[in-house]
Amino acid sequence: MPSYVHPEVLVSTDWVAEHLTDPQVRIVESDEDRALYVQGHIPGAVEIDWQTDLQDSVERDYIDREAFEKLCAEKGIANDTTVVFYGDKSNWWACYAFWVFKLYGHENCKIMNGGRKRWELDGRPWSSERVSYPAAAYTAPEQDASVRALRDEVLKHQKAGKQLLDVRSPEEYRGERMHMPDYPNEGAVRGGHIPGAVNVPWPLNCQEDGTFKEARDLEKLYIKELKMKRRSPTIAYCRIGERSSLTWFVLKYLLGFGNVRNYDGSWLEWGNCVRVPIVKGEEPGGPVSRPVPAKPAAAPSVQPAAEAPPAAASEPPPAPPAGDGLAGSPPIGD
Amino acid sequence: MDGVAARIEEAVEEFADLDGREKLELLVEYAAGLPPLPSAYEARKAAAEGRIHECQTPVFLWTERDAAGGAMLVADVAPEAPTVKGYVALLAAAVAGRPAEEAAAIPEDFVERLGLGEVLGMLRARGLHAITARIRRGFAEAA
Repeated sequence: MPSYVHPEVLVSTDWVAEHLTDPQVRIVESDEDRALYVQGHIPGAVEIDWQTDLQDSVERDYIDREAFEKLCAEKGIANDTTVVFYGDKSNWWACYAFWVFKLYGHENCKIMNGGRKRWELDGRPWSSERVSYPAAAYTAPEQDASVRALRDEVLKHQKAGKQLLDVRSPEEYRGERMHMPDYPNEGAVRGGHIPGAVNVPWPLNCQEDGTFKEARDLEKLYIKELKMKRRSPTIAYCRIGERSSLTWFVLKYLLGFGNVRNYDGSWLEWGNCVRVPIVKGEEPGGPVSRPVPAKPAAAPSVQPAAEAPPAAASEPPPAPPAGDGLAGSPPIGD
Repeated sequence: MDGVAARIEEAVEEFADLDGREKLELLVEYAAGLPPLPSAYEARKAAAEGRIHECQTPVFLWTERDAAGGAMLVADVAPEAPTVKGYVALLAAAVAGRPAEEAAAIPEDFVERLGLGEVLGMLRARGLHAITARIRRGFAEAA
């Protein structure tokens, strides 16, 4: 029976219960609903909020290196602390926080498998006490670009027909769900998906109790059915990068994909961009190149329109990579 | 004076001096006070009627009249969403029994006036704005 490629990044609720007071371990809760932490958290856990703690309040970006150092120091996290993330929604936001910690190179990061739901199902205690720890010393390196994909990189990636995953709901992927009548559109001005992206909604990674599916089920989905290749560069996206950080986690750590990045700009950026290719409907569509506005000193990768015809609708997704410019590794099958 | 506007002002004052953590604690308290969904509404909920799609967590709202003709907000919010649940409970208390036109005039920027924008961040605040808009519109139509 296959096992996860990097099982050490997952810990069980049992493990967490045994390490609640371990000074080498910091338990961190990240939720969609911040009041959940206030209502009750794992005893001794601190909260790190993806929106008010990890995102810059002015620019659409993550906090800078200095702010990240300050945040860790305040939460009592030192460079050698093992940080265990958990949260609501099958650990969406926990994976998102984990991803930001990896962006800043934190070495020992883990996810508590099953998150809040599993802890609750186990009948374990919640605490509403305020938690604080003595400040720690923390120094962070510059961001690790290998986990994050920016818009121009995604453009290049899709144009080359490389592995691209859209983890949103099928309605969002097809471009049907935008907003309700009489309501402001809260997100993008265009609906659909990035050409070539295969739709693998994030819940397919998880089980009913919030834990990740077993290795054989994940392999069946991504490797056998979708014919994805572990060594081909892969990018995942959703609406704002949270659901796709869960898929990023699954691909990178549970399945051992060598080069996978999260496009955190996701649909909230792509669906608002001028002159980026979009496909509506169920078919992934093929690699598409369209002229994009020239940027001063831009990468010479942006080429004029249409040298690659759209893939035939009958082709199995994803479109096969046409060379691996980004990673420098050839597309080798698993 | 016990109009909706006065109750809204009271709530704004109640939240005014609290820090972020205390604001969330108060919302959790309000959430605990939201009455369970009357059984008559279960079938309507099952048919996904009244659902607010802007919220990622299932939220169901109906703007109704009570026996005396006053405004009544009937709602069901998943326990996984105490912030939304608390906010809805706060609004339900604010409009209860008052004329629909008063209920329709709850301020559009109530979320900001409670100081929740900063605590929750912009994306979460949007979900609460959608709820505010839905309630305003529902009572405006009923007025």
